[in-house]
Amino acid sequence: MSQVIYKLDNIYRRILTNINIEIHKGDRVMLFGPSGSGKSTLLHLFNRLDDPEQGSIFYNGKNINEQDITTLRKNVGLVLQQPYLFPETVKDNLMYGPKLFNDWNPDEARTLLEYVNLPESYLDKPVDELSGGEKQRVSLARTLANKPEILLLDEPTSALDDQNIEQIEQDLINLIQHNDLTVIMVTHNLEQAKRLGNRGIYLENGKIVEEGLLPDMLDRPETEALKNFTTNH
Amino acid sequence: MERDVSNFSLLVLIVFVMIPFTISYFYQLGLKKDILWSSIRGAIQLFLIGLILTYLFNLNPFIGIPIMLSVMITIATFHARKKGKELPNVFITILGGLIVIEVFVLALWLGFDMVSFTPEEIIPMSGMVIGNSMVAMGLSLERMKSEFSTNRGKILAALSLGATPKQASHLSVRRTLNAALIPNIDQLKTIGLVQLPGMMTGLILGGVEPIVAIKYQLVISISIFSSVSVSAIIVSLVMYRFFYNERMQIVDLEEV
Ligand SMILES: Nc1ncnc2c1ncn2[C@@H]1O[C@H](COP(=O)(O)OP(=O)(O)OP(=O)(O)O)[C@@H](O)[C@H]1O
Ligand SMILES: [Mg+2]
Repeated sequence: MSQVIYKLDNIYRRILTNINIEIHKGDRVMLFGPSGSGKSTLLHLFNRLDDPEQGSIFYNGKNINEQDITTLRKNVGLVLQQPYLFPETVKDNLMYGPKLFNDWNPDEARTLLEYVNLPESYLDKPVDELSGGEKQRVSLARTLANKPEILLLDEPTSALDDQNIEQIEQDLINLIQHNDLTVIMVTHNLEQAKRLGNRGIYLENGKIVEEGLLPDMLDRPETEALKNFTTNH
Repeated sequence: MERDVSNFSLLVLIVFVMIPFTISYFYQLGLKKDILWSSIRGAIQLFLIGLILTYLFNLNPFIGIPIMLSVMITIATFHARKKGKELPNVFITILGGLIVIEVFVLALWLGFDMVSFTPEEIIPMSGMVIGNSMVAMGLSLERMKSEFSTNRGKILAALSLGATPKQASHLSVRRTLNAALIPNIDQLKTIGLVQLPGMMTGLILGGVEPIVAIKYQLVISISIFSSVSVSAIIVSLVMYRFFYNERMQIVDLEEV
């Protein structure tokens, strides 16, 4: 299976229309666009937290409607925009996914924390005692624990400071290379999009307004809409 | 000696009703109409039921008891269902639950000869069991809805990681059960100490030996305790799945 194709031809609750994209294995697709343009919604569809009313989504050459939902969700790992953590500790969160599939190896906990730049001592920390940025990092590590083939990231660094952003980006790049990951990531940080992505998609009002290769697409936007967007960001 | 409450003293009860009414008025709690209306309604209901009961009690128990129980269960079902109208299959779940509970309790009472098959014993005792179960189911439903709405994000996260609805609901179901069972257990612990339970009070007022009254009270208290627990468990374990569709996605309750 060398190719991963997503096709979503049509409407989803009038939030998304005429979305037609193909994503290939190894792609690092950056999604950007104004607030409310439908970026999170699109990621939810890929993870099947919701279904489009019309159109279909293919993953590994097969319509996702015909695939086992829990396996699909494990393989197409989603990091939600809000880091909703489970009680009680960081460790409980890291093992949540693997335990669902009887695949938890306690030795991995440390590596997972390393990926997101948190010390090992955090394992037994109650999640209520984490800062917003730390929660976001645990949420990312929790999804990584499932060893997904595709990583859907919804603004994973929005609550982090520059130093942490740099470190997480570096870890992400390593992770992507080592595991041959395909990434679809929402970000409002256009510099970050250029650093991490090879392709970009600009959404507005639920429609793809412009798509292209990064960084060119952001350096020389073709549409007025994206031009305006880049000058305002 | 026949004891009776005079009609005049019943009127005096209005004073009691006026107390919360007045408080509510001064603190603008907005319950005034509710309180007044429910007291009047309650009083009329009780009198009417008194009349009907007199009639039904004189029927053959094999006809009268099933009729009365069916009516009680139906009314209780309609009442408890109000707390979860948005959810599918609420009516049938509650109805089924109440029937199972009542049948089980009757089997226990009659099977071990704790209660005799007369309307005078079966109806008030069943009333307490059904009434308490109804309240427990309503509370569990309400609690479950609020748990699912406060935990929506966590449920979404759990699903996104590959959890089934059952796994994703674990936290909400557990919290619902806790909330429903803790007051029930507390009540059992303080029974006879804090409040002299209703049935015992009734029997003692009616002239029954306290020790006999206590035995009856034990039967009813334990029956209520189990029924309430079973009610909460039924609601929690059956209803959680209605918050999802068959594709393991959260459904928006407003749209159902
Ligand atoms: N559950 C829902 N029901 C109805 N409408 C929704 C729902 N979730 C989102 N929307 C609407 O869909 C549109 C797209 O929302 P979405 O969250 O996908 O935007 P976004 O591009 O991720 O925005 P942001 O950058 O602010 O995160 C918005 O107009 C939003 O109000
Ligand atoms: Mg979003």
